[in-house]
This record gives sequence, C-alpha cells and structure tokens, in this order.
Amino acid sequence: MRIRRFCTALAVVPLVASCAAQAVPEPTATQRPGYLAAADPALPPGGTVELQMPVDTGAAGGLDPQLADVAVSWQLMSLVYETLVTVGPDFEPLPGLAERWETPSPTEYVFHLRPGVTFSNGRAMTAADVVGSMNRLLAGEGVWRTQIGPVESVTALDPATVRFRLSSPYTPFLSALANTPAAVLPMTEVENGSVDLTKTMLGTGPFVDTFHRQDVLWRFKRRPDYWAPGKPAADAVNISIVPQEPTRIASLQNNSANLAVLGNVDAPQVLAGVRGVTVRAQSTTDFYYLMLNSNAPGGKFADPRVRTAINIAMDRAQIAQVATNGLGKPTGVTPVDLPDACDPATLPSATAGLDRARQLLAEAGVRNLKFVITAYATEPAPAVAQVIQQNLARIGIEVTIEQLDEGSWAGKVYGSVPAGFDAALSWFAGYAGAGMVAKWWNPEQAAFNLGFMKPNPELNRVIDAAAARPDGPDRAPALRELCTAVDTDAQMIPLVTRPVLVGYRHDSVSPTVYATEGYGNAFRGLADFRLVGRP
Amino acid sequence: MRLVSWWVRRLVSAVLTLFVVSVLIFAASRLMPGGFAEVVLGPFATPEQRAAMSEKYGLDQSLFAQYGLWLSAALHGDLGTSLLSGEPVAGEFGLRIPVTVELTLLGIGAAVLIGVPLGVYTAVRAGKRGGGALGRLAGGLGVSVPEFVLGSLVVFVFSRYALGLTVGGYRPLGEDLGANLRSMVLPAAVLSVFAIAVTARTTRDAVMNVLVEPYITASVARGETSLFIIGRHVLRNASIPILVVLTSTTAYLLGGAVIVEHLFNLPGVGSYVVQAVGRRDYAVVQAGVLLAAVVFVVLNMLSDAASGVLDPRFGTDRKANR
Repeated sequence: MRIRRFCTALAVVPLVASCAAQAVPEPTATQRPGYLAAADPALPPGGTVELQMPVDTGAAGGLDPQLADVAVSWQLMSLVYETLVTVGPDFEPLPGLAERWETPSPTEYVFHLRPGVTFSNGRAMTAADVVGSMNRLLAGEGVWRTQIGPVESVTALDPATVRFRLSSPYTPFLSALANTPAAVLPMTEVENGSVDLTKTMLGTGPFVDTFHRQDVLWRFKRRPDYWAPGKPAADAVNISIVPQEPTRIASLQNNSANLAVLGNVDAPQVLAGVRGVTVRAQSTTDFYYLMLNSNAPGGKFADPRVRTAINIAMDRAQIAQVATNGLGKPTGVTPVDLPDACDPATLPSATAGLDRARQLLAEAGVRNLKFVITAYATEPAPAVAQVIQQNLARIGIEVTIEQLDEGSWAGKVYGSVPAGFDAALSWFAGYAGAGMVAKWWNPEQAAFNLGFMKPNPELNRVIDAAAARPDGPDRAPALRELCTAVDTDAQMIPLVTRPVLVGYRHDSVSPTVYATEGYGNAFRGLADFRLVGRP
Repeated sequence: MRLVSWWVRRLVSAVLTLFVVSVLIFAASRLMPGGFAEVVLGPFATPEQRAAMSEKYGLDQSLFAQYGLWLSAALHGDLGTSLLSGEPVAGEFGLRIPVTVELTLLGIGAAVLIGVPLGVYTAVRAGKRGGGALGRLAGGLGVSVPEFVLGSLVVFVFSRYALGLTVGGYRPLGEDLGANLRSMVLPAAVLSVFAIAVTARTTRDAVMNVLVEPYITASVARGETSLFIIGRHVLRNASIPILVVLTSTTAYLLGGAVIVEHLFNLPGVGSYVVQAVGRRDYAVVQAGVLLAAVVFVVLNMLSDAASGVLDPRFGTDRKANR
C-alpha cells in the first residue's frame, strides 16, 4: 500500500510542478528598440554574473587580440580590450576610446582620444599606444590586417590625437576599427617585454581577467578605475565553458546560470513555459554558405553553368524555415541585416526558376550528377545540408551528406591544395560593414580559398569597388552589383543568416543584448548587466 | 620463488601492454583526419604560420622521431605540452585528476555500499518471493542502460526539478564542500548504476556459491545468526570475485567518467581528453590514453595482489593450473 502511494506521489508531483511552472513575463522595463534586452538601470549594481558559452577561445595565437580570428575570441577579449570606436545596435559607429573623430577627406580620419583612460595596470593610454597598436596590427599576420583596409600611415598629432591616412577610400574602415583585433594595446609594456599578450590580457576595458582554465572557466572582476562612470555594474563575471547544449539548458532551468548562449534552434520551444526563463533569437550578420570546389575531382564544378544551376536550385527561404526554425534569413553576400544590403530575392539565382537550372545542366552536358556535401556535425549544419539535398533533387542532382567532426572537416576542406572535396558547408562571420566579408571571395587575398576556388578578376574588381564606394545613394547599386557578381560566380554560395539564441533568467539578471550582432558578441553589453533580486 | 616469478611475468606483461598501447595511441592520434594546424590555426592561417607551428611542436619530424621523443619524455615524467594552451600536460592533468578521482570514488563507493548488500540480499532471498525479481530488475536495468541515455534523462529531469542538486555547476571540493557534493551527486549516481548492478550480480553469484558449502550448513546447525554467518563465513569466502569485479569496475568507471563528465560538464580528465581529440591536441590525447592504460594495468595488479593476500593460493594456484 505504501509503495502504491509512493508511486502515485512520484507521478503526481512533477505534473503539479509543471502546471505551477507557468511563464513569468519579462519586465517591460528591460525591452528597448534595437535590443533583445536592456539592463534596468534602477536595479542596484554589484554581484557576480554567471554566464555559459559552448566553446572557449582556441586560437594558437593565445590571448593576443590581433591574432584572434573567431567570434568567440572577440567575445571574451572584448571584456578586457577596447577599440577606438564601437558599433551601436544599428551598426552605426559610436565613440569608444576616441570620443570623437573627423574625416577631412575620404582617405583621412582624425581621432580625438578620450581623456582619463587607463590600462588595468594604471598607466594612462596615449596616442603612442594607438599608433603602436595599429602598426603592430598592420605588420602582423592576423586576419584583421586585411579587413582594416588600405591604411597607409598612422600618426600621433599630439598625445591625444591620432591621424590615419588610407591609400584609397575604404567605407568599412570605422566598422573594421570597431572589432576587437583593432583594440588599443599597452604598447609600452609590449615593446619593453613586460607583457606577453599571448598569455596575459592587459587592456583598457571594464574587466580584468583573474582566472582562466582552458575549456573550463573564465573569471573576470570589475575595474574600479574604469573610465565610464558607473560601469561595469557587476562586481564580477564568471563565464563557464559548457559544450553540452542540454547542460546549458539545464543550468538555465535550475538557475545556476544567469545567461547562456544556445545553439539549438529548437531551444525556444524546449524552454517555453519555464518559469523565469526568456529565450531570444539574436540576428547576426553571420551566414551559411555552400562551397563548390572548382578543382573537384572529375571537374564536377569546373563549368560555371553547373554551379549556376545548383545556385538556382537553392531554396533559401526553405533552408531558413526548416533548418533554422525560421530564425535565419535568406541572404546574399552582403549580410541581409546590414544597412544597404542587397535583397536576396532579386538575385539572378532567385529569379531564374528551376527550368533554367535544368537547361543549364543540359547545356553543360551533365546528366545524373552526384556529389558529396561535407558538413560538420554541429547543428544546424546537418539540417542545412539536408534541405540542400532536397533542393537539388528537384533538378535531378543526387547529393550524399558526409558529416564530420570539425577537425576532420577542417582537414578535408583546408588541408590540401587543390582541395579534394566536392562541396562543403560552412559559415562566415558577416562583420559590421556591408561588403567586408566579400573580401573572402577573392582567393588571392583570402589564401585559404585557393584550394577550391579560382580567382575571378571581374569579381575582385567589384569587391574592391563596393568597399571604396562612400555611403550614400550610390552605395546600394554597388552592393547590388557585388551580390550579383558573387551569385553568378557561384563558387561560394551565400545561403541564410545564422541566428544565435540567448537564454537568460529574467528573474535573476537584467542583461543588455543587441537584437542584431555583427561580430558575434552576445556579451557586448556585459558592463551594463545588473542582477535582479539583490538588496 | 614461484610467486616471485609470477610477479615478474606480471610486470613484464604490464610493460609490454603499455608499450603496445603507446604505439597504438600514437598511431591513432596521427591517423585522425584533420591536423592541429587546420583546427586551431583555422582557415585564415598562412602556410608560413602552419609551418612555424609544426616546427615549434616537432610535428614536421618523421613519425618515428616524434614517437621516440614523446616516449622518451614520457618515461622521464614529461607528458609534453598542450598544443592549444601551451601549458605542460602533466600540470593540466594535475588540475583535473581530482575531479575524475572524486567522481570514480563516489561511483565505486556506491557500488560497495549498495551493490554488495543488494547482492547478498538477492542471494539470500533466491528462490523466495521478491528476491530473484529484484535482483534481475536491478541487474538488467543497470547493465543495459548506457550512461549517455541515463545521464541525458537525469539532466532533463533534474533541470526541471533540481531538488537542491545542480547540473553543470561544478565547484571544487576545497572551495565549497556542499556545493561540490550538490554538483557531484547526480553524475556519480549515473556513473554508479552500472557498477552497482555488476557488483550486485557478482556478489549474488559468489554468495550463492558459498551458501551451498557444507560449512554453512554446519553453521546453521550450530544455531549461529544469519548476520554472523554472512559476515564471518559468506563474505570472507566470496570476497575474491567481489574484489576482482570492483577493481575491473573501477577501471570501467574511469572510462565511463569520460561520458558523464562531458554530460554534466565536470572539468575532469575525461572531458579534457574528449575536447583535446576535437582540437587534435595530440599531446593531451596521447597522455590521457596512456594514463588510462597505466591506471588499468595498475588496478589489475593491485587486484591480483589483494587477492593473494585474501587467499594465498591465488598466485600459486594459477601457476599450478598451467
């Protein structure tokens, strides 16, 4: 009898608990246009924010921001390092370490440094640090050297003023300056050898890192002498590296994490109705793309007509809906959320129709084409590949999907020249300036593409022209021309943007998170985060 | 003298086993598709950067030379340098071993405290109502449900109904004992299920074998209490198979800890090596597998030694049987 009662209780308690666990709406005070959430300044400062993210920095360049080439490194390093300018929620350049700037000509930028900025060792930041940092960046081997543009010289006009001269106009210059690899470094300490940037982070930012164990945990504490009054609000931030999505979800559910970066596009459904938890999809300018190897064995994609036919068969809206649960958006090479981005629905591939694709295959003499798409196993990449497989079946192409771990994938795609794969799926960070990512369509600039991509001089010309065209009415046509050229080349085919899910306990933290991100930095507003429920 | 030669053979066999393991793991790590340069340097790296990285870590030398250098260093206690963090692997392991050891000890502790009494109970109750069914249920479930299935279920259930326990919120033992135990209970419970089941089954069989011995019948005839008979006669004589299974289960638990640590995000050696495989951090992978092999071999030798203490015929019998 007692056993029966116990079993009944076991069954009833979770049912009752789940009924009681109704969603508690997030306070409206934390919602603002352009933001997924905005920290409530009325909440008291202090406390420790507990965050979780799936991967740690993994660059061989260690902690040197100039050698960081992936968004997760920028995310972590940006807590310690700062840039001359930053980007707002609509990608507009905002003052950072430079409180203002002038552009006397399209090739000249003059930055006036913010007074009272110090590195975390207490030394004041000067124009010499800016000049030294930029010269180090330009002379180094980091990927951002290419993105920063055609910088000809960097000069200190006085201790608080720095002038950049470009060899030609470069519209994304301010956007490129806003990313962590362009951070201002403590050049005196770097040059006298007292700081090894690969092992130590020493910046002007709101936090200092006090502990790091690779793939386990980061601990940061607030800088009391940070230049922005009242920032950072939290005393400390712990960032746990939690590779398992279910564990991150569990931590949100049981309130052991305040905020977690999620990858599963079904996370909003999984966490729906969990008391105190909000899941928001952050749009990003990152996007998935399909590589068609022009050097593929058997010359499968050497004929541009075959590549074009494949591009036409891509149903980007379906990929977005099915593979990303409607959270991604169809895009061209200019990420669709950026100002002036081209409309992917107007691209030649989007308007041609499947009959044209079949006709192109016939003209190229291709029948019963079969090939393998190499995709890494991290979701939702396999789902994207599956939709592509179904898309291509409509024009008689048979696709086999090969799922690899990321190490094997990287080895197969980038490990040899010429590359031995047929097609591969990946994603690019889309950055914060329309046309920046297009640089990677020039394999002579982005050498990693040489194994599978043939240089296209006309495409290279259009890429450079789009970057040089100033903001204004002429820019949109230039970007449209860029999108069309990439669409026609079809060696790397942009597909859909890559959403990031941010889950947080609105009953324990009031975060600041942009609605759209260009540099994959979900923690961009961390200095504003406030904890809820503190006395 | 016979015992000494048995132990010498045992040691030679252990060394040979470790040598073969070292060759296999070295070859396997190098045969993995995708190298460290592709994974960690990423696609943007120049050929010069890749070459410099290979040279820095000796990856440009022949495989034989790399193996020789690695083995020589390992024999001198140097497990190499993590390609990713640039830190000595031994130091990194030192930070993570306590987590794995704690998890394994909790698992084996549960096997002893639950598995042995359960095995004795089901043996004593064999043929009576309830006893056999309980044993079969516990044994069958425990042995057949893999850790990743049970672990995923536990993570799901306890993320909704935490009951004071945490999933993924590990705190070191020395930092906060209560928080540490709250974070270790669930993974240890998942890890121990198999060990409990195997221990209970082995104990049950061993105890049943002893229960049919004439001296047990004599004890009963003398009017000794059941507890006394079990403690004094049964467990002592059934202890060798139980000890052997506990030892081999400990080695198994160290392997199972890889999955459990990964699921519950515990910063132990297992999850570290799994991540190192993904990053092609060869030094960590090689050291991790070698360490596991050493532990396995040592545990087996300790098991044999303990068996010899409990039953002096153990080593010599084996020789005599050949």
